[in-house]
Formats: sequence, structure tokens, C-alpha cells
Amino acid sequence: MTSAPRPRPGRDDAPDRLYTLTGGRSRSGSDAFDLVTLVVAECDPAPGMQSEHAAILRMCERPTAVVEISATLNLPVGIVRIMLCDLLDTGRISARHPRTARVADRLPDTDTLEQVLVGLRNL
Amino acid sequence: MRPSLRPTALALLVSAAVTGSLCLWAVAAAPASVRTPVSWGAGASALLLCVAVALTVHARITARTLRALRTADAERFTAEISRLVSTSAAEAQRFTADTARIKAAAATETSRVTAEAAEHVARVTAEADAEQARLTAENARLTERARRSETERSAAVAACANAAGRMQALATGMLADLREMEHRHTAEDVLGDLLHLDHRTAQAGRLADSIAVLTGARSGRRWAKPIVMESILRGAMGRIGGYQRIRLHSTSDVAIAGHAAEGVMHALAELLDNAANFSPPTAEVHVYVEEVPAGIVITVEDSGLVMSDVQLRRAERAVAARDQDLTGLSGTRLGLAVVGRLARKHGLTVSFRPSARGGTGALMMLPHELISRGALLPAVPAPAAAERPEPEPVHASARSRDAGPGQGDPAPDTREEGTARPGSAPDSASETTGSVPRFGESGLPKRRRGRTLAAAEARNGNAAPGGADSPRPRTTDPKVQAARFSTFSQAVRANTPHPEGNTR
Repeated sequence: MTSAPRPRPGRDDAPDRLYTLTGGRSRSGSDAFDLVTLVVAECDPAPGMQSEHAAILRMCERPTAVVEISATLNLPVGIVRIMLCDLLDTGRISARHPRTARVADRLPDTDTLEQVLVGLRNL
Repeated sequence: MRPSLRPTALALLVSAAVTGSLCLWAVAAAPASVRTPVSWGAGASALLLCVAVALTVHARITARTLRALRTADAERFTAEISRLVSTSAAEAQRFTADTARIKAAAATETSRVTAEAAEHVARVTAEADAEQARLTAENARLTERARRSETERSAAVAACANAAGRMQALATGMLADLREMEHRHTAEDVLGDLLHLDHRTAQAGRLADSIAVLTGARSGRRWAKPIVMESILRGAMGRIGGYQRIRLHSTSDVAIAGHAAEGVMHALAELLDNAANFSPPTAEVHVYVEEVPAGIVITVEDSGLVMSDVQLRRAERAVAARDQDLTGLSGTRLGLAVVGRLARKHGLTVSFRPSARGGTGALMMLPHELISRGALLPAVPAPAAAERPEPEPVHASARSRDAGPGQGDPAPDTREEGTARPGSAPDSASETTGSVPRFGESGLPKRRRGRTLAAAEARNGNAAPGGADSPRPRTTDPKVQAARFSTFSQAVRANTPHPEGNTR
């Protein structure tokens, strides 16, 4: 998933190292974000912002999952999480956890499942 | 001296007695009448006679005495003269003898001295010959030694360059490995450790780069594409120890040409390292990027020690890129020498001045030749690359179709926005990719650099095969297909000229 846009392993195409993106931090210190947290931008990117922050803000004009951001930016999830925490602290994004209720809604009900089971046995 | 008066007195006495008696006789004999005159006359004549006799006698005696005296004197003078003559003759003889003796002695001395001088000259000549031979031998020995040390020096430099190159390759490979691991391991502890190692490796890589630059080896990496300024700054920052104290202030979206990007980053890293090392451990170092007519000026300002005029001049001389030999190296301070080399290689101008922050400011000017404008790159997750819509097949064909020989990455990337838009979700694509004018803070539409040209070219490119809205027609002509494939492979190869870790 994260390696999809990467041209080849063993070769990095960007001269900047990951620790410079986060100022040397390697842990976010908050568990506001997990892989599937949806992120929504609250403002437009401003000039002079770190380009990754601007990219996140543009990308999150509609809700986007953390793991998607990570994949698109081609950055490890840990790094993305730190940057998202920074943005959250400054109020530029908001985070929403996917509602388990809606996931449950989408599951087929027991009647359908029973019918599928019956159909399978009849095969 | 005078002869005695006795003979005179005697003569006077005798004559007085004679004349007296005569006078008495005459007076007695004379008649009385004439007695008185006769007595007076006789007495006077007798007196005169006595005086005359006495005078005569005295004169005769005196004359005789004087004659005797003269004779004695004459004899004395003669004797004296003869004595003197004989003395002088003897003297002359002695003088002659002396002269002869001295002459002989002088002749002897002269011959001796001459002989001595000749001997001395011979000795000195011999010594000089020996000395010359010795010096010639010494010269030959020194020449040999100089030649040997020159050989040793060049061998050592070559060995250093070789080792530095290999260290660069190792560091580059290790950095790539670390990035791979950073992507693979999601645990925060592991990520932290990996970032730590990454930082250390980047610093080691910079040291290897410095040695490579000083030993004249080729610079470490060649980036196949222009690198945006933000990545340049962060790449430089990531190579020094105190990178957390660096504050970047850059809104510039220019990119540095790939061939110079590594040099610029390295030089900037050295300047940043200087600034961080020579300022208090908690003070921040500020980096500003400014576009000027002559190019781009990157300013590194610290708030550490103010350099004196002498130090400023020395620093400027160190980076002035005049003397490129290694004699000026101090052993511990390599940074400015490295900056000087890189500045000469890439035409950078580096100067120092006191900073308004109280420390020193280093200015690095990049000329226009190193700057490629309007290159919106997928280098770092840049906006254009970041917001690529998910359905991708059109992209692949667009890239292969549009990428011509000699065109780098940027052109296809800006172009594909134009071609990809009609196919997939026009609304979101036009909003997010920004190919439709976006509105800046001022509320006016904002246009990105190079966008118009890219759009125009895209339109031209689309006009030929068909309408912009029609799906891409499949060409069946094998020649056209082959040509497309070759341009595709060229484009891909242009990106990846260095499969093994991008070194050299």
C-alpha cells in the first residue's frame, strides 16, 4: 500500500530525510489518529506552510483516512500521524472516527444470511 | 776669557817707571825757568806714552788671545765636521744595509704569503668542489624525496577519494535502506530508532561528501530531476547535528537543477553546521530564501558570536575559491574549504556579514543557471503528485504518450492534468489539481507558473489525435507503437540512470 508509487526499493528519490519533516519527533504523543481515522481540513493551505501540511489540507477537503494520506504522500504512518497531530493542535483539521453503527447498518441482516446459507446447501 | 791684565799692568808699570824717571831727570836737568812747563809737558807726554804702551800691549795680547781662540775653534769645528761626516757615512752604510735586509725579508715574506695564498686558494677550491658535489648529491636526494612524497601525496589523495566515494555509496545505500525500513516498521519505538540512525548516517554521509569534495572526487549523488527549494533546505538541514535549531522561512517554489542540487545542499549544510556550531546551543538559526534578479539568495543567520572584520575577511577568503590546494586546511575546520570548492564548481557566491540578529549572516547566491523554474515536481509529496486521482490507467498512457525525449519529469506531470481531466470526475479533479485558476488570499485568481504553457502544449498534443473529449484512440500502426514504446523507455531511463543507490 505504501510502496505503490515508489519506483524501486533501495533507492530514495527525495533528498530530505523523514526526521526533518517532524523536527526530530518520532512519536505523536496522542492517540487521536489510528489508521482509519477520517481527516477533514478546516482551512485552506496558506503560503509558507510546510508542503506536506499544505498537501494534507488540500487532500482532506473531503474526508480522507489517515492510511490514505500516508499512501498518497508516500510517508510512513507514524510520520503522517505526527504531522496530523500538529495540524489538529493548530485547529486546521478535524478528525472523525468512522462510525461503527453505519458499518453495522451496511451488514446484511440475518434473514438474508439464512437464505444464502440455504442456497449454498442446495448447491 | 779675557787674557789676564797682568802683562798690561806690567807694561804700564814699566813704562810709568821709565817715563817717570825720565821726566824727573828732565825736570832736574832743565833750567828753573822752564822747569814748570817742562814738568807739565814731560808729565803729559809720559802719561800719554804710558797709556799708549799699555794699550798697545793690551791690544797685542788680546789679538794673540783671539787668534789662538780662533785657531782652536777652527780645529774644533773641523774635528766636529769630520766626525759628523764619518758618522753620517756610517749611518748611510747602516741604512743601506738595513734596506737590503728589509728588502730581503720582504721578498721572503712575499713569497711565503704568495705560497700560502696559493695553497689556501687550492684548499678552498677543493672545498668548494667538495661542497658543490655534496650539494648536487643533496639536491638530487631532495628532488627524489620531493618526487616520492608527491607520489605518496597523490596516492593518498586518490585513496582518500576512493574511500570517500565508497563511503558515500555505503551511506547512500544505508539511507535508502533506512527509508525502506521506516516505511516497513510502524511501531513508534522502532521508527524513533530508525530516524536516529537515519540522522547519524546522514551526518556520516556529509563527512564522506566533504572528503570527496576536498580530494577532488566526483560529488556524491546526481539527482535526476530538479529538486524544489524546500527539499534542498530540508536536505541540507538533515545532514547536520543541530538540525532541530534550524528555522526555515521560505515560500519560494523554485527548484534547483538536478546536477547542482547535491552541491548546493552540501554547501548549505556546511554553512548551517557552522552557524549551529558557533551559536549558543539553544539559539535558533534562521534560513531565508529570497529571489533576486540575479538568482536566489539563501541567507543563514545565527545569533552567536559576531565575527570580527579579520575573521569575516578570512572566512571570505576561505570560500573565495582562489587557492584550491590543501595547504590551507587546518585539519579541524573543513567546512569553509568545502564550501569554497563547491562554490567554484557551481558558480555560487558566498559572503559573510554581521547579522541583524547579533551573530553572523552567511549569504549564498545561486545563479540563474542552477534554477529551473516552474518545475512542480513529484519530488517530495508535492501537490501535483499528491492529488492524483485514484483511477490511473489514463495516466500511464498519458505519460507514455507525452513524454518526449529530452523532457524530464516535470513536463509530463503538468501535462497529464490537462489530459486526465476530461476522463475522470471533472469536478473534483479541476478543484484539487488546480488546473482551473485557484483563488489566493487576495481573492483574485491565482495562476501557477508554467501552467499556461503546459496547458497550451497539452491542447496541441490533444488536437492532433482527436478531440480532447474522445477516449484515446488505439493506434494499430506498429511503427507508431514502437516509437511510443521507445520514448516511454527513454523517459523511464532518464529517471533511473543509477540503479545502485544513486551514487555517482
